[in-house]
Amino acid sequence: MSLHPLTALTAACCAAVVTTAAASWQLSVAVALAAALLAARAGVAARVLAAAGVILAPLFLSLLVLHGLFFLEGHTVLAQWGPARVTAEGLGFALELGTRTAACVLLLLLFSFTVSVPDLVTALAARRIPPQLSFVLASTLILVPAMAGRLEKIRQAQEARGLVVGRGPLSRLAAARLQAVPLVLGLVEDAGLRAQALDARGFGLPGPRTSYRQLQDPPAQRIFRAAALLLAAAAVVLRLMTAWPTAVPS
Amino acid sequence: MSQQPLTLPAADTRAGAPRRRRLLEIAGAAAIAATNVFLVLNQPADIANGPASFSALVALGGFLLGAVLLLAAVLPVLPTSTLVLMPVAIVLNVVLGQLMGSTGLPFYLDAIGTVLIAVLAGPAAGAATGVLGSIVWSFFNPTVLPFAAGAALIGFLAGLAARAGLFRRFYFAPVAGFLTGVLAGVVSAPIAAFVFGGTAGLGTGAIVSAFRAMGDTLLAAITKQALISDPMDKAIVFTIAALLAYALPRRTTFQFAFVRRFRVLAGKVPADPAA
Repeated sequence: MSLHPLTALTAACCAAVVTTAAASWQLSVAVALAAALLAARAGVAARVLAAAGVILAPLFLSLLVLHGLFFLEGHTVLAQWGPARVTAEGLGFALELGTRTAACVLLLLLFSFTVSVPDLVTALAARRIPPQLSFVLASTLILVPAMAGRLEKIRQAQEARGLVVGRGPLSRLAAARLQAVPLVLGLVEDAGLRAQALDARGFGLPGPRTSYRQLQDPPAQRIFRAAALLLAAAAVVLRLMTAWPTAVPS
Repeated sequence: MSQQPLTLPAADTRAGAPRRRRLLEIAGAAAIAATNVFLVLNQPADIANGPASFSALVALGGFLLGAVLLLAAVLPVLPTSTLVLMPVAIVLNVVLGQLMGSTGLPFYLDAIGTVLIAVLAGPAAGAATGVLGSIVWSFFNPTVLPFAAGAALIGFLAGLAARAGLFRRFYFAPVAGFLTGVLAGVVSAPIAAFVFGGTAGLGTGAIVSAFRAMGDTLLAAITKQALISDPMDKAIVFTIAALLAYALPRRTTFQFAFVRRFRVLAGKVPADPAA
């Protein structure tokens, strides 16, 4: 059974919201592990974990230094060097926020690395989301790999004309300018041509759109989406209710 | 060569639609402002009281709601010529950020495309590009999604600066960027503090740690760090965007109705070849 793109999106977002609302590092670790397992089953584990590692490693280190050493609200001091104090509360805070972010990042990366962009655009168009949003989303995701090739071509062309990147910052800046200006100019020109072509096909006109693609949306998945949204809303309301008296001094 | 109309395109002609859009815009801006004020007023009680998830939920909900409302207000009225530029601007945010990163400058420089489109197509296009860019980029890095409201603010303010003529001379652009950076830092600091509990970089993390060691609350420390790095960063971004806009041929820049109407860039409007 194939998953409707909106079902996958709802599941990822609701799981992220519930994890944030629950504020328990055990749940966050469990969710992160579940997301990693699902990624492995979908065959994208390597990509998801690599992308997540690049995002999360600096954040973890930063959190560890910041809260591990300088958590002024902590009372249980484990070690102390001058102004830096390692407190149990600080380490707990870093652990809680780090695992929470890790769980949310893994969930959303799992969604974005498994979803089929054409299916997602079709699903959005069927929901009366403005077609402009789908256009920008799909167009950007297609443009990203094309851009890398284009920049490479520009670099080769400029090197053929004698571009040599030197050591100094001024030389590097000049090299960046020689590559950036043709890139921006070419893309803006292309965009002008594309606007004409799209307008000639009625892109700017109001009204409903039809699509070549047809998506299956089984009733079971609709029920699942409604249930997930309800669960997430309940989790948020519960957290706001329980935290309100302490969070708002009145 | 593409020929853009000289007049701004007629917006939705249905009765009541412009008013509804205006209401959506105001509601979006109000949601962002209210969330910010609420978080700043309530932060001292929160961090000491265990889980920060209350503030995180408020920050995520409020800022994302505001960003989505702004997008819903702006997106349907943008002309096609602006719309096709938005993917270009979003990709430029990433690619030019990497290209400038290779020069070894210690800044993010991740908003060059947004500022460039705001200069060429106006504040509404800039704000929409900021939000959409955050949404698209979150496909590769979900941690940028909560900062969508700040990105929208940068695009919007860059467009206002362009309309006021601050991009006509290259020495005004960094001033406008500096002021934008101050506001953007104030808006993005609560997100960094309450959603992520710190900043993603080691250098910025060290600055925050220094302020924490001096006795600041987490939000105050991160706000001060943002007020150190963001204005510098945005001043550089605005300067690069201005230099790029100057480097483009006038035939290209003057295609944009916004550039012609508000005389965003210095120089005489070239005679209309179609006239």
